[in-house]
Amino acid sequence: MSLKPYVRIILFFLFGFIIYLADITMNYDEESKDIYISDQELDGLFAAWNSQVGRPPNEQEALNIVNEFIEEEILYREALRLGLDQNDRIIKRRLAQKISFLKQETDREEPSSKKLTDFFGKNRDKYYVPATFSFTHYYFSKSSEAKIKAKAGLSEIVELGAPSNSEPFFLGKNFSEYSLGEIEQAFGAEFLAAFKNPNLNKWIGPFSSSYGEHLLFINNKSLGYSPEFSEIEDLVKQDYMLQEQDRKLSDYLDSVKAEYRVIINPTYEF
Amino acid sequence: MKTSKTLIITSVIALLVVASICYYALMQFAEEKYSIVLKDSSLEIVDFAIEDKEELINDVPSNPLKNPYFGDLHVHTRYSFDAYVFGVNATPYDAYRYAKGEMIKHPLGYEMQLREPLDFYAVTDHGIYMGMIQEYGDPNSPQADYEWAEPFQNINREENRTLESMGERLNLFSLMAADGYLERPYPVWHPKMWQAIFTKNRQLASKAFDYGVHKSAWADIAKAAEENNEPGKFTTFIGYEFTAGTEVEGGNLHRNVIFESSKAPIRPWSREDSLNPMDLWAWMDKLRAKGLDSIAIPHNSNGSNGEMFEVETYYGTPIDLTYSETRMRNEPIVEITQVKGTSDTHPLLSPDDDWADFEIMDGRVGARPPTYSYPAGGYVRDAYLRGLMLDWKGQGNPYKFGLIGSTDTHLGAGSFDESNFWSKVGVVDGSPMSRGSIPLTDVRLEQLREYSEQYNQPVSAVEVDGNSYAIGFDQWGSSGLAAVWAEENTRESIFSALRRKEAFATTGPRVAVRFFAGFDLTSIDINAESLVEEAYDKGVPMGADLFADGEKVPEFLVWAQKDKHSASLQRIQIIKGSITNSGARPSEKVFDVVCSDGLEVDPTTHRCPDNGARVNIEDCSITNNVGATELKATWRDPDFNPKDKAFYYVRVLENPTCRWSTWDALKAGIKPRSDLHKTIQERAWSSPIWYIPVPEDIDIFAL
Repeated sequence: MSLKPYVRIILFFLFGFIIYLADITMNYDEESKDIYISDQELDGLFAAWNSQVGRPPNEQEALNIVNEFIEEEILYREALRLGLDQNDRIIKRRLAQKISFLKQETDREEPSSKKLTDFFGKNRDKYYVPATFSFTHYYFSKSSEAKIKAKAGLSEIVELGAPSNSEPFFLGKNFSEYSLGEIEQAFGAEFLAAFKNPNLNKWIGPFSSSYGEHLLFINNKSLGYSPEFSEIEDLVKQDYMLQEQDRKLSDYLDSVKAEYRVIINPTYEF
Repeated sequence: MKTSKTLIITSVIALLVVASICYYALMQFAEEKYSIVLKDSSLEIVDFAIEDKEELINDVPSNPLKNPYFGDLHVHTRYSFDAYVFGVNATPYDAYRYAKGEMIKHPLGYEMQLREPLDFYAVTDHGIYMGMIQEYGDPNSPQADYEWAEPFQNINREENRTLESMGERLNLFSLMAADGYLERPYPVWHPKMWQAIFTKNRQLASKAFDYGVHKSAWADIAKAAEENNEPGKFTTFIGYEFTAGTEVEGGNLHRNVIFESSKAPIRPWSREDSLNPMDLWAWMDKLRAKGLDSIAIPHNSNGSNGEMFEVETYYGTPIDLTYSETRMRNEPIVEITQVKGTSDTHPLLSPDDDWADFEIMDGRVGARPPTYSYPAGGYVRDAYLRGLMLDWKGQGNPYKFGLIGSTDTHLGAGSFDESNFWSKVGVVDGSPMSRGSIPLTDVRLEQLREYSEQYNQPVSAVEVDGNSYAIGFDQWGSSGLAAVWAEENTRESIFSALRRKEAFATTGPRVAVRFFAGFDLTSIDINAESLVEEAYDKGVPMGADLFADGEKVPEFLVWAQKDKHSASLQRIQIIKGSITNSGARPSEKVFDVVCSDGLEVDPTTHRCPDNGARVNIEDCSITNNVGATELKATWRDPDFNPKDKAFYYVRVLENPTCRWSTWDALKAGIKPRSDLHKTIQERAWSSPIWYIPVPEDIDIFAL
């Protein structure tokens, strides 16, 4: 049996009205003037009091706590009703933090090896193993005559095999496989000049360091190289994961940023 | 009748058989399976080594004359309960990245980076409730629903990383520091309670504790150390802080435990297990018997209210030889300087030492409200003298330790530079205003008053020069560094250097110092290339004993080198402490041994003349071309008595420079506080060398 069209329409609106009624009855919470306080909430309130005061509240105190809670809840709801949550920076920041927390912590899956090799490819420079030098030296401590002494020392090496005025250096005499970074750490930045295109296996100098003058004999220089991915996979993975964490938040921001239009008064003066 | 008799006999026999089987089974269980029921979980050793890492190890160059290596053995990260509460988000991995020279961020948002990478580093988070607090703080964790977790919820959300959260944070710190807050015992019948008893793991008995979380935090710390250990380049150690104290008076007895290798117990043994360091040593001894060596490094003796270097045991009983030996076996090293002040000596203890008033922190560690810490028994020089006296009385010397510095940073990142100081507890002291170097604004002062009142504390502000300043962090400073003389930059080499006390401490700059003693050192030509080799040949290095050679006078060799980025050296001093053999009367004396700029030590006062180095407080500039890049000399003790027990250690002083509080004020464009030192002299201390007289024929019995 088919119904007449107008009956169908009436039924349609009737059902719609029933659903609407059901909806407003069941989702009435926001507008409700009821304040439900669960047992857990009460426990929590009293425990918090206990942790600050050091003992459980007595009856009167418990009443006060609950009253305070109720008043707070009422004020909160009234404030919401009046829209006081809008344009409040503290509230904004709190919500912003909550979402960034969520976005940062989401899934920590194992990166695919493709992603790792790509990351490695992009950051190859970071994993470069620097050139190293092996050298020995004679040291002349900082003084106005240090340079002269060192120069005399150089000619003494040629004539006698060793300078007569050199002094012991605090960090020792022979340095094996030192990178430029390590040399800078041991001798100071100015000493690096000695290692720019140096003559190998020959006494050269004098060169100034943070501590005085030095005659140098560089007997070995090993070239720097980029290690293969397989050698440093763990390290790459660790760096990749770190970078990913930071990226997740900024990715999320970028993805939603596009939907926003920012308008600032162009004539604003700072 | 007959049948019932048979029945009775059979059943009795059957019963007997069953009983004996039961008894046998029980005995079997007791003898063989006993260990399963009752085992000490803290003695289970785990190897945290990362597989396949071996191939990365290079040939490590070794120097028999030893190199100085600089590091920090006291670093906290977010796994520490207090660091987390103070807003710190840095992980152990971040901490190691920082030590290797990379930049990491302070909780308040600014950048922290070293000028030069360090050689070694150990993350030492608090053992107690390790890893739990961030669990409480995370709203998604299973712990989040419990009421004790509530105050920690989301505490480190971005907008709460502000100075205004200081009160809340300090209150949480006090809450936890007060014993009992996190002790939420299960009822007696609960299986967890039994597990706690049978595995000797008290923490298990608390509802607020999750062993899984705890173990994985510890394993993560160990993993970070393993991943970052690069033999020959950068050394890490697995370690943690045993944060114990006396039950009364809040005497701080904190120690850092450092393990020698990739192996470590499955969980850190913490103050939950015992408050008594003697129990810690017993535990370390047991681990040692199982083949795992470790050392404990006491720190902040200055804030121990004199309890760190007591002349009696934890129980108040007399110290005996066993105690002394046990303590020395487990604690060969003490941290003399860190952010929370320097523990060399106190002006009240060493009134004749013109340099004693240096970065004195006179409060008890972690005490709220702030409480004065009595100096006697809290400073290392005093401890050395007490050790001699105890030894003289036949009780052994429990205080024959070497020295290192470290930072105790809670940010993963140590602050070593006065001109770029960020203190150590994150949000709470990360800005000049909160650490008291610039005046409080009215708003901040009001906040400080409010929360002090709220938490029943005296207001932690002081009125100086008409302004209000925050107090509590103004006695802290940018210090210090641990340094060792080791053949190579590896765990084995550095650990054994610490064991033999060939170690020294600095207040931040990389000032390096060598120190030798012998009876024929003045014969060495200090300008010869073979200087160090000869010194090792003819003498003993820092940390060692020098045994009497008849009546011969000990001779010393000192050699120090400045930090290239810091001020030049002003002088080297040797500090001598001794007790008279006739009555254990202590005395100490500071000798200037070598002065900068070619100046001569006055032979009667033993002082260097003024080298003219000054600091301009207006811009913190220092006098140029004054001071030395290196200083070296040999020295003979001028008033030596061969019968008296004595120790000698070196103090190297830089020219004066601005203190961090002066830098803070300068950067803010205001005058520095008049009640704080405006300048400091950065310094380094060697471990001592002990002079051991020829033993007397008589034994002294204390009556």
